[in-house]
Amino acid sequence: MMPVFKTPFNGYSVRFSPFYESRLAVATAQNFGILGNGRVHVIDLAPTGPVINELVAFDTADGVYDVAWSESHDSVLVAAIADGSIKVYDTALPPQSNPVRSLKEHAREVHGLDYNPTRRDSFLSASWDDSIKLWTLDRPASLRTFREHAYCVYSVAWNPKHADVFASASGDCTVRIWDVREPGSTMIIPGHEHEILSCDWNKYDECLIATASVDKSIKIWDVRNYRVPVSVLNGHGYAVRKIKFSPHRRNLLVSCSYDMTVCLWDFMVEDALVGRYDHHTEFAVGVDLSVLVDGLMASTGWDELVYVWQQGMDPRAS
Amino acid sequence: MSMRELVTGGAACAVPGSSSSSSNPLGALANALIGSSSKTQGVLKEIPNATAASPHPQFYSHAADPVAALPGSELDRPFLQSNAQGSDFIRGFRAADANGFADAWEEIQRQPPFDPLAAPAPPIQPTLDGPPQRVLSSFLHSFVDSSRSGVPLHPTPLPLLGLSQGDKQCIRDRSSIMARHIFADRSEEFINAQVNALLSSLEIENDIHARGPMPGRFRELEDYWNESQGVMKPGAHAADGWVTEFSQNRIHHGDPDTWAHSFEQQHGAGGWASEFEQEQAQLTSVDQMRGGNMQSLAAIQQTRMLAHTLSQNGDPKFQNSKFLQFVSKMSRGELIIDDNQVKPASENWATEYQQQYNRGASWADEFAQNEVFRGPDQWANEFGAERLQQESVDDQWVNEFSKLHVDDWAEEFGRQVGEGTLGDGSSDWANSYDEFLNEQIAAKQRSDASRGVYVFSDMNPYVGHPNPLKEGQELFRKGLLSEAVLALEAEVMKNPENAEGWRLLGITHAENDDDQQAIAAMMRAQEADPTNLEVLLALGVSHTNELEQSAALKYLYGWLRHHPKYGTLAPPELADSLYYADVARLFNEAAQMSPEDADVHIVLGVLYNLSREYDKAIASFQTALKLKPNDYSLWNKLGATQANSVQSADAILAYQQALDLKPNYVRAWANMGISYANQGMYEESIRYYVRALAMNPKADNAWQYLRISLSCVSRNDMVEACDSRNLEVLQKEFPL
Repeated sequence: MMPVFKTPFNGYSVRFSPFYESRLAVATAQNFGILGNGRVHVIDLAPTGPVINELVAFDTADGVYDVAWSESHDSVLVAAIADGSIKVYDTALPPQSNPVRSLKEHAREVHGLDYNPTRRDSFLSASWDDSIKLWTLDRPASLRTFREHAYCVYSVAWNPKHADVFASASGDCTVRIWDVREPGSTMIIPGHEHEILSCDWNKYDECLIATASVDKSIKIWDVRNYRVPVSVLNGHGYAVRKIKFSPHRRNLLVSCSYDMTVCLWDFMVEDALVGRYDHHTEFAVGVDLSVLVDGLMASTGWDELVYVWQQGMDPRAS
Repeated sequence: MSMRELVTGGAACAVPGSSSSSSNPLGALANALIGSSSKTQGVLKEIPNATAASPHPQFYSHAADPVAALPGSELDRPFLQSNAQGSDFIRGFRAADANGFADAWEEIQRQPPFDPLAAPAPPIQPTLDGPPQRVLSSFLHSFVDSSRSGVPLHPTPLPLLGLSQGDKQCIRDRSSIMARHIFADRSEEFINAQVNALLSSLEIENDIHARGPMPGRFRELEDYWNESQGVMKPGAHAADGWVTEFSQNRIHHGDPDTWAHSFEQQHGAGGWASEFEQEQAQLTSVDQMRGGNMQSLAAIQQTRMLAHTLSQNGDPKFQNSKFLQFVSKMSRGELIIDDNQVKPASENWATEYQQQYNRGASWADEFAQNEVFRGPDQWANEFGAERLQQESVDDQWVNEFSKLHVDDWAEEFGRQVGEGTLGDGSSDWANSYDEFLNEQIAAKQRSDASRGVYVFSDMNPYVGHPNPLKEGQELFRKGLLSEAVLALEAEVMKNPENAEGWRLLGITHAENDDDQQAIAAMMRAQEADPTNLEVLLALGVSHTNELEQSAALKYLYGWLRHHPKYGTLAPPELADSLYYADVARLFNEAAQMSPEDADVHIVLGVLYNLSREYDKAIASFQTALKLKPNDYSLWNKLGATQANSVQSADAILAYQQALDLKPNYVRAWANMGISYANQGMYEESIRYYVRALAMNPKADNAWQYLRISLSCVSRNDMVEACDSRNLEVLQKEFPL
């Protein structure tokens, strides 16, 4: 039941399509993203049987660290490239027409992307050049650059309710909350003592934000009172690389870590760790939850495997 | 460290892996900034409304023209050309990919459904040809297999690399950033060291050094500066935006200090200024490391460190992690990039090594004498490059001014300058002092990193020797210290629980003037045998040298407790709260119990050094020497104590005794130099340092002392030779 997809390079990120329940995009990079090529895979779960078919793949000159599906066009996705560029691909076009755009402004690796789910017309990029940029697909240049972080920005996440608000997670140990209508950040949460690698908003309470850090912990914050975290989730043995709130259950979130596991948490209960998935044999660096299918999860890692499974099942069961 | 010369057990002995929590200057700003959300409208461009979500979007219909003009669009071709920076490596990768990689990919595709639960494939013989991807992958597999079966992988001399400047920068930057995530449990210093090990093996540092300081941190401040000045960025669309900005700003503001200063004024000295200092310190340290003139061959030596880290994590998943193995292999030169292909390095390393370095004379002699080849322990020198700066200047001054605490220096220095006591040399001293100040922070940051972890030499001809311990003991007796180190390393690799092997290894390093390795080895010895008296004494001495009183007392008290004769003197409950007076009292009782036991007097001498009662310490050592007149290390201890007690002339006599007994005692030669320098006889001191270095070119401390003495006699011409470690020139100029 649980399909697996093998990528030639090391997995970096996996995202479910917001339009097709069986479709995913995977970002991969050669040589663990340190040096070499990259490839974006668009894959489909077969309607029958535990099989994943590749729809199309796009090669890049440098590693691909993240992908994000367009919220407005079902065939369009954007990819974060280690050479500092952002590539826009349209799976409906033949390979030779792709990428349809290359947006090169970041001076360093682009590490995170997030497409605005409410306005659907714009997306953000987070880069190791310490900046965040705001883009729309109808312009060749970015609309804005947000420069306040003092170190690499690893991830950005739009607020699910307020179309102009987003959060950014940085190696400067802060999460910043921004409103694109404001000139600077509106809030700084010094969330961890170590680098913060990922952040995400709760999909049901627009004031809750989760942060994942090199300090191995995940913290849940209420932006109305951020001096003390709402909850601290301990259980990962190494840096937590990515976190994602469930689109279906208020208190559920999923994380993946350099400890090679994917963990499922309920941040409102005392024993917050709901499930631990031990299927990857290298660092687990990409994880996502399907918006369209409740409980459908996907993960990827440096073991060059993409797993898609239903929550509660063993990802390796086939 | 004023008693560094006292050492026979080495100096650095801090708890390794002390974690450093990131400083968070931004946190300080948080309060000030929060709540300032006045809803200013119209400052920024509104995002245009979404175009209708037609199934086939229009947004790229005009793609051909504007997109083509975008920077970076030239990259967007299937199987892309190399980028503008000219990446030979990538190009090679791609060229190979064009045919071979597609095959590899098809291979993967041809076997659906992929079964991750299938048993691992049988060991693959490494393929020497084919596309790099396949070669790389097969070697990762073979590496996994070899690590499982415990077959040691043979390291090799550093290979030729085909990395372009851009590739190197990629590897440097990315591995630095990633290492901070992966080695999260380790301190910043440790991570820096790890990354440095990787990079230096790939010969990355020296080349990039030519490009000046790492732009990262400076640029950041630059940005803040711009923002604080209300300067709107000109689009920043150019690919090299910040570079341009940076240089513009440089011209504009002239001296970077100017803007830093203004910046400080604007934001207050507390937060950002301190950040700036930190960054400066970091830059200094990076420069220092790069400036370390790391030799490629020597660089591989560092890499055991990486392997060691990997082995520290008990999780078999981690030990089998291909990524960690990849990094480790790259850094050890076992994977090479040659002709733009990732290849394993050749296996016949031993032969090559012999051919290259063995020229008729015995390997050992060659090894000891050849100043071009700087030997397997080079890592430690380079690694400790920061430490020696601190230490040597430290020692020199402390000796000179007798017992000054480091913190009092500035004051003392000012006073002495005021009184004119420094004479003509004062400008040189001032320079040294400045250097010291600049480097001390950086040194402090990283000094812990290199402590406590024993790093093995890579190319070790004694691996596989039937009885390396015996061989090592023999070499040690002959005074072939560097050679003995290799044999003893082979021994403890074979028998990691052999306390005697570790102990002798520690002693050898100490006598060879390599304190960090000495300490690391002694700590391993103590792990293997917690009650070994010699080990406890050595560790006590080491900590005394570091002026770490509590640690020193702990080991010295341990010595007493585990001693068959004096164990009864030491009440176990005392161990919880050790005070100097108690321990000293106990040892005095022991000395009364058996006045003929030289060891007790030695410990007393060490203890009195700890309390800086040098006269008593000298008396104790002299008593011990009456009982053990042939203990060369004891003569060295006496000399060091006398030097500390401003009796440098006596010290020289004591060192001479040590050298008469053991002519290859590198540390005593160096100590002689120190004593001469302390008496202002710099010319003589230089000769002794050079002599010590001729015997062990890896004695980093001695290089540092030498440099100071050279500047004191204004031999700037020779300072250069010193910096480039050109022993030939120095020996010719300063024969002993």
